[in-house]
Amino acid sequence: MKRFVVGLMALLLVAHGLLFAGGGAEKKAVGKQEPVKILWWSHWANEPAKRQVIEAIKADYMKSHPNVEIELVWWDKNPLQDAWRVAMTAKKGAPDLVTDPAEKVVEQLKAGWFLELGDKFPWQNFYPEVRSIGNKFEGVKGEYLFHISMPLQMILYNRDIFKEIGVTVPPDYQFTAEEFLEIVKKANAKGYAGLANAIGNRPFPATYLVEYLLLSKVGPEEFELYRTGKKSWNTPEAREVLEFSAQLRDAGIWPPSFASMGIDEFHVYFHTQRKAAMLLIPTWYTGRAFKPVKEGGQDPNFRFGMLRYPKMKNGKGHEYILAGFESGYMIGSLTKHPEVARDILAFASQPKYGALWTAITNSPSAIKYTEKDLPPDMDKTWSWYHEEMNKVYGPVKKFIWNQWGLSGAWTDAVKSVLNEGIPLKLITVDEAIKKLDAAIGK
Amino acid sequence: MKRTEKKPWGMIFLFIGPVTLFYVAFIIYPLIQTVLNGFLEIYPGITGLRIQFVGLKNFKLLLEDEIFHKAVINTLIWATVGPALEMLVATFLALIVYFKVPWSSFYRVAWFSPMLVTGVIVGLIFKWVFNADWGLVNTLLRTIGLGALAINWLGNLHTPLWVVIVVHFWNTFGYSFVILLAGLSAVPEEVKESASLDGATRWTLCTKILLPIIFPVFSTTLMLSFLGKMRAFHVVWVLTEGGPMHASETVATYIQKRAFQWGTLDLGYPSAIAVVWFIVVIVGVHFIQQWVRKKVEQYA
Repeated sequence: MKRFVVGLMALLLVAHGLLFAGGGAEKKAVGKQEPVKILWWSHWANEPAKRQVIEAIKADYMKSHPNVEIELVWWDKNPLQDAWRVAMTAKKGAPDLVTDPAEKVVEQLKAGWFLELGDKFPWQNFYPEVRSIGNKFEGVKGEYLFHISMPLQMILYNRDIFKEIGVTVPPDYQFTAEEFLEIVKKANAKGYAGLANAIGNRPFPATYLVEYLLLSKVGPEEFELYRTGKKSWNTPEAREVLEFSAQLRDAGIWPPSFASMGIDEFHVYFHTQRKAAMLLIPTWYTGRAFKPVKEGGQDPNFRFGMLRYPKMKNGKGHEYILAGFESGYMIGSLTKHPEVARDILAFASQPKYGALWTAITNSPSAIKYTEKDLPPDMDKTWSWYHEEMNKVYGPVKKFIWNQWGLSGAWTDAVKSVLNEGIPLKLITVDEAIKKLDAAIGK
Repeated sequence: MKRTEKKPWGMIFLFIGPVTLFYVAFIIYPLIQTVLNGFLEIYPGITGLRIQFVGLKNFKLLLEDEIFHKAVINTLIWATVGPALEMLVATFLALIVYFKVPWSSFYRVAWFSPMLVTGVIVGLIFKWVFNADWGLVNTLLRTIGLGALAINWLGNLHTPLWVVIVVHFWNTFGYSFVILLAGLSAVPEEVKESASLDGATRWTLCTKILLPIIFPVFSTTLMLSFLGKMRAFHVVWVLTEGGPMHASETVATYIQKRAFQWGTLDLGYPSAIAVVWFIVVIVGVHFIQQWVRKKVEQYA
């Protein structure tokens, strides 16, 4: 019996060794062009248009670099971030290229989880803000983020509802704050919500209202101070904005299912159910809406209009709208092929891919391009959307602010107060100001 | 001379070794590491973990953390109301099935089946049920003329926690029910017959005979229910994520947020929360055991 047990354990040990030994050794490549395998983790798993662009980049790169094999894995955002964090903490299984971790990017940069793109990266292909704002983080040197998308933050409106409630859009596409309030009241009187925005599964859709009003009131520099938690909200201007947002709430700006509707649902609420007069949304609206109706997209014949932000009284930012950066890509610091990873992103920086991004996703690109870069067989279905965007937002100034690197306590306070507290009438404006200031130690 | 019996260490190790290893690797080691982490500030870096000993700093921060205080209150409310409701209902239903009322076979299955649905799915379903606009609850209320009661169940400061408690109760009462039913089923028939012969009413049979007999089962079930509420996560996370404005925040959801969502890689503070909560749970279990011991002495 004893011999049997000892023998069995020896067998198990040998089997263990055979199974797990030599897992980390890579075979040395032979020859001039070493075969390279790149693992690329991207979110946008449920956005077919964006996937199409990235898949095209991957295919083109592999065609022009036969020794490089790119494995592109599609994720939803939160699972990707969790998996990335686990892989980097374990120092195993991490991809070479990965979607940036959004609000966690600064501390992960400080933890050394990413590699720089460097000065030789083709920055000239991008709009200057990509480098000057999109890659500037407090306490971090160098540039790390490849941005392909530069969304604008829009106000969309349902033309039929506006007609029904007797609202005419002014020539400058901009209502005063009082007029905006009247629109909400009129919409509500006819059974419509002022906005379709809801907070069921996102911490930000209701914050857009305060952000738009705040930018209009105080202008870009002050806006950034307020929004990044560097300035007390106990000022007449901030109080005015919060009180006006409360007035809009009382007038019925939010939909009845505000607390429970998710982001996909409120898109449908606006473009298909058509129960709201307006929607505050960045240009990544197209990722969910500009796809076949049976997949949750909108009818291409639903030609909504666009508005500029309401003019707050004595405001300093009437001529601005907000812009920013959607998720981009970064090089993981555990990559065994940093030059190849960098080369892939440089390849993706060509103007033709900026044009392809806009042509397919209908969203503004961070990469500069000209008309000749646009694909010749571009789908014209949504050309009305681009015409409207150019007409309404073309002439206005875009203010891009860096929203990453904010503390957890501040982000939580913004979510609690601006996304939940005031819209749901859970707190007064005084309490809101106290909570916001408490989060920044004021 | 007495022959010394040799213990078959090989066989012993073969059978308990893997389980012991698993237990040490996935229970003991993480527990010890979490306790140690509570005294540290930890940042994963590219060359490894950057660790700084900060003493009681994380624990002192807990004293000032209003969200943590809110989470503790909410969880204690849940851990008090939840088990009480669950044990009351589960005992009543177990007795109904035990006494073989009509359709008791159906009830046995029906009342256990919510247990078979995973907490995530339950949370999703009830998120729709309590939808303020078109959810089942509000639609029914409006249909029967009680539209004034059709409130935003998940979107105010007062009801989300109670919705979570009720939903979680629905999901888990079947477990207590089936354990109590098993306990009742193990009571010898002669006990019931003797009581009947002595003229005991059903109420007397239940309160003076059956429940005291199954008290050990009852107390174990109560303990498990209490522990379950103290660490419940899935249902509340899917239903409300602890919102709005932390109205339904529990310790489990707050740990999740501090560890993975507040943009910090530092596991020290969330570990400190976990350590403190572990101690609170131990104390809670101790008090329940004290109460159980007194009751056992009373029935003995």
